[in-house]
Amino acid sequence: MKKFFALGLVRGLSWEIIGTALGIGFVTLVRLLIGLPAWKAEPAVVFGALLGALFFLVGVGAVDDWFKWAVGRETGEHFDDSHPGWRRYFGASLDHKVIGIQYLVLSLILMSVGGLFALIFRTELAEVQMQFLTLNQYNTLMSLHGMVMIVSILLGIAAYMNYLVPLLIGARDMAFPRLNAFSFWIAVPAGLILLSSLFLGGFDTGWTGYPPLSARAPLGMQMFFLGVSLAGFSSIFGGLNILATVIRLRAPGMTPFKMPIFVWAALATSLISLTATQLIGLSFQMVMLQRLFGMGFFDPAKGGNPVLFQHLFWFYSHPAVYVFVLPGLGLISELLPVFVRKPLFGYRWVAMSSLGIALVGFLVWGHHMFTSGMAEYLRVPFMYSTLLVAVPTGVKFFSWVGTVWRGKITFETPMLFLLASIVVFLLGGLTGPPNATVSTDLHLHDTYYIVGHFHDTMFGGYIFPFFAALYFWFPKMTGKRLNERLGQLQFWLITPSFVVLSLWMMRVGLLGMRRRIADYDAALGFEASHLVMTVAGFLIGLSLIVFFINVWYSLKKGPPAIGNLWNSRSPEWQVASPMPVHNYDQPFEVVGEPYDYGLPGSQYIRFKGEK
Amino acid sequence: MKHLITVAILVVLGTLGVHAGLGTLGLLPEQASLQAIAVDKLLDVHLWLISFLFSLIVMTLAYSLAVFRRRKGETGEGAHMEGNTTLEIFWTMIPLLAVVFLAFIGAASLGEIRRIDPSALQVNVLAGQWYWQYQYPEYGIVSTELYLPVDRQVNLQMTSNDVIHSFWVPEFRVKQDLVPGQTTELRVTPNMVGEFRVLCAELCGTSHAYMESAVFVVTEEDFAAWVESQQSTAEVDPLLLGQQLVQRYGCTACHSIDGSQRTGPTWAGVFESVIPLADGTTIIADREYLIQSIINPNLHIVEGYNPNVMPSFASVLDQTQVEAIASYLETLK
Amino acid sequence: MPASPEKSSALRMGLLIFLGLAVLTALEFAMAILLAFWQLLLLVSLFKAGLVLYYYMHVSRLFEADQDADHESYAYRLATNRIGLWLFLVSDAFIFGGLLISRINLLGLTRPELNQVLGLSVTSVLLISSFFMNRAETAMAHGDRRQFIRGIGVTLFLGMLFLAGVVGVEWQIAAFGPGDGVAGAIFYAMTGFHAFHVLTGVIFLMVVLRNGLRGRYSVEKHWAVEACAVYWHFVDVVWIFFYPALYLIGTVL
Repeated sequence: MKKFFALGLVRGLSWEIIGTALGIGFVTLVRLLIGLPAWKAEPAVVFGALLGALFFLVGVGAVDDWFKWAVGRETGEHFDDSHPGWRRYFGASLDHKVIGIQYLVLSLILMSVGGLFALIFRTELAEVQMQFLTLNQYNTLMSLHGMVMIVSILLGIAAYMNYLVPLLIGARDMAFPRLNAFSFWIAVPAGLILLSSLFLGGFDTGWTGYPPLSARAPLGMQMFFLGVSLAGFSSIFGGLNILATVIRLRAPGMTPFKMPIFVWAALATSLISLTATQLIGLSFQMVMLQRLFGMGFFDPAKGGNPVLFQHLFWFYSHPAVYVFVLPGLGLISELLPVFVRKPLFGYRWVAMSSLGIALVGFLVWGHHMFTSGMAEYLRVPFMYSTLLVAVPTGVKFFSWVGTVWRGKITFETPMLFLLASIVVFLLGGLTGPPNATVSTDLHLHDTYYIVGHFHDTMFGGYIFPFFAALYFWFPKMTGKRLNERLGQLQFWLITPSFVVLSLWMMRVGLLGMRRRIADYDAALGFEASHLVMTVAGFLIGLSLIVFFINVWYSLKKGPPAIGNLWNSRSPEWQVASPMPVHNYDQPFEVVGEPYDYGLPGSQYIRFKGEK
Repeated sequence: MKHLITVAILVVLGTLGVHAGLGTLGLLPEQASLQAIAVDKLLDVHLWLISFLFSLIVMTLAYSLAVFRRRKGETGEGAHMEGNTTLEIFWTMIPLLAVVFLAFIGAASLGEIRRIDPSALQVNVLAGQWYWQYQYPEYGIVSTELYLPVDRQVNLQMTSNDVIHSFWVPEFRVKQDLVPGQTTELRVTPNMVGEFRVLCAELCGTSHAYMESAVFVVTEEDFAAWVESQQSTAEVDPLLLGQQLVQRYGCTACHSIDGSQRTGPTWAGVFESVIPLADGTTIIADREYLIQSIINPNLHIVEGYNPNVMPSFASVLDQTQVEAIASYLETLK
Repeated sequence: MPASPEKSSALRMGLLIFLGLAVLTALEFAMAILLAFWQLLLLVSLFKAGLVLYYYMHVSRLFEADQDADHESYAYRLATNRIGLWLFLVSDAFIFGGLLISRINLLGLTRPELNQVLGLSVTSVLLISSFFMNRAETAMAHGDRRQFIRGIGVTLFLGMLFLAGVVGVEWQIAAFGPGDGVAGAIFYAMTGFHAFHVLTGVIFLMVVLRNGLRGRYSVEKHWAVEACAVYWHFVDVVWIFFYPALYLIGTVL
């Protein structure tokens, strides 16, 4: 029992409960003292949740060292090895590999929760009319599915960036290990607060939270805004850390164009999350303030402008989709050469295309607002800038094809997922331009076509690369290999069902199925299509169960990972698995190109003291 | 070279196959406006591009997987090719040209669907949770169904009473949000007689899925007849009118007429009953109370229900309509 | 202890920049009264921000080449910390940028009715505090502990005075509340977000003062002092834009 309470996570949660209670009590007391009716749920719960999150961070120990610094005490240098074994994953650790795996697990938990929500409302949609959900429950689940998945994706890319970037560039850890721990642990209360909206009346705005609807939604709306704002800090500080790490801690000889390509993707992603995330936080906080203090930013009755919210929101939320997919595309470029046994075709172009996508991504947000009632002349420049995204994206596809051409291709599970990524992301990418040209978008906007399109980009740009990378690096993380057969089974379950799901979504969308509706007219004749989509959704769920069984089974009985499993040139595979605590015992120096497969005698790195 | 030629043939066949396949599927609803023609034309250009680029990447990839796979017993590495600048510039230019082309025809297409006809029929659209209302200022008509003469441009001047809604008729293709506090414009030229549905395309709260209304595209003569009939429907049975209004505005989504529990208080037996209020007092539900509850719903909050849920209908319904609804409510037992 | 020539010239430069900023602020105020010309005000603000960024926040230090290849050395880590802090400021600037854009979108060339004397006063207080902050940092870099403590003390006092002026006086005497029209919302949001940053700066100053009194900083190792100074000046830069945006631009509503 004592050991149980020694776990950082348990302490953090206990503190969070205390903090929430204190916050609620405080607001009630203040209201009492200044002569207002004592109990008002909204301010009390919002302040309580905020204080609870801060208390969680104190309780879990994520801010201990900063307090010590503030009072002038010295702290340990880098690594906190006080909790050996599995226990270190449940407390504040400063080791980037531990934090990476913490991110990974939390991301998978949220992915399962979000997926479960999707299956619930997908079942409701299988038949016309409402069967077992109320309209409000449907709206809440649908809205939460969106945001829970987004947070899950942000945590997932943070997992890989945290785990891989220091290893790939030969650093001992991230530039700011404490900030790194803070970034992870703030995501835990953020996730809890986000999910608590389910029990506080829900909300019915979708993940976009447009006012004026969000200004009058139930209390759950505030929890949604608060949870997302806090998760935003995780993303901002995570991005900051990656940028500083890549700029400052590369191994000797690793000039920008000798970095592994995934590092370029991480760099581009972090640039976006560092800057743009603040604006989704700001827009959400402005609605929170409007609800709490009647500040009329988006209230037309007070002279506010609802469309302003959409500008602030999409200024982040469009670049955000590049935050989600750039690391995944980086993973494709990173892993493809290993399974093709050929250099990455046009390395510099691929690296620059990541930056190009990130920069152009900042100029295109208006294409979400072609129907919004923004100034009409703005539609045209936003159409042009949006179409421009196709150019750097095209470079990536052609480079992948060029890489595969005349290789010596093998088909292990990671490679299968990579190939599916390319095809699915291609579907997502090609269905994009019709949303970029204004007149066609006027038909497609807010339909299932959009739903299908972005699920293609998310699966191709994140989910499939996520699993490819997990099958690839799981042995490095744990020292055990994942079972190949179960891996293939998962692949063949998820891929066809997903392709069917997304193509059917686009089809009913074109025919007139609006998005975010709990029920649809039987006369439209979509019932059979929805049944197909629901079955496909359940198959995707089944594939995840296969995956979890695989992880559980392989951790127990999987063969140990010995040596350079994939015959990769990457530095982390030149040392033992799982990775030693302090990363590389000997620092290395970069002496060649990263992807010179097929060039006899070439070397990427050389460890100190090695010839 | 042999490889390249095979792939090129595959790509051409793939492009034709994919495009033909998409064509036979029947991707779009009926084309019922001039704007729809322009939109569909542009969409077809997109479909050609999609078919070509999809085949280009997938066929090359599939060919590579089939031909360049590692055979049993093979051990060597792939060919050492690091890249090719000419090729990179070439395949940067290809999408760039496609983009310029799309930008050009995209702008032209936008110009076409936004072409303004000065003699357009003006209809003011007002939306709210969860109803559509159409005002014809030329004729002094207010209707909850949209009647449009065929082959004449209609200029929809739209605004919202509460949250953001979006006007969409799939057969017309075009779509425009209705934003509270500002007026947005949408122009459509229906070119086909028929009955369609106006759907709200922007999530607007609980009953968003059901926020629809009928749109009738009729001949010039039928439209004139409808206008005339609307202008002379002053003396309708108030009970019947009340019942129709209640259905049109979706009141029963929240208020049951059989006593069951919904978002709002039930209407069953409400008239002249004693209503407990949230502030602890009670009130007798006379006609005055019923009318106030429609016009100013937050004045009296029934115990156990929340304020600010129901919108005011003061600007939506006129005096006669409110009276008609009240008369209808009085009959519910 | 006789002041070294470098220190004197650094202090002189600090004073000179302060005088420049003060003159420009006065000019802004006069311009707003005489000719309502927002483009000119923007130019002056940009110029003021540039002065602070270059001379008070030492932005050029970011681009100094590393001589030290050892990633674990103090000098190398110091430079990494600088990059981290500046990245944070860049990120933070997006919040304030978003608020400014909201203000322009919602209010255009109008502004809420505010007490001009009070506005100029709190602006001056913040400006003078920046001067003392710079003095304190320069003193620390040259080993003058007493002047450093004095400078931090004065900055801390002025920071609290600014908070009292905005939250304690301005918010109380304003003719409108946060719920009164969109101008009220913007005014309270902009000053509120800024005041929150001043508050965190004040806490940071307290920590630095406490550790400074205990002699924890040296000429070589005083990153906390530098970070505190850069952060404080950043808060000042934000106000350089917020002051004209709230008090000077356009006509009163």
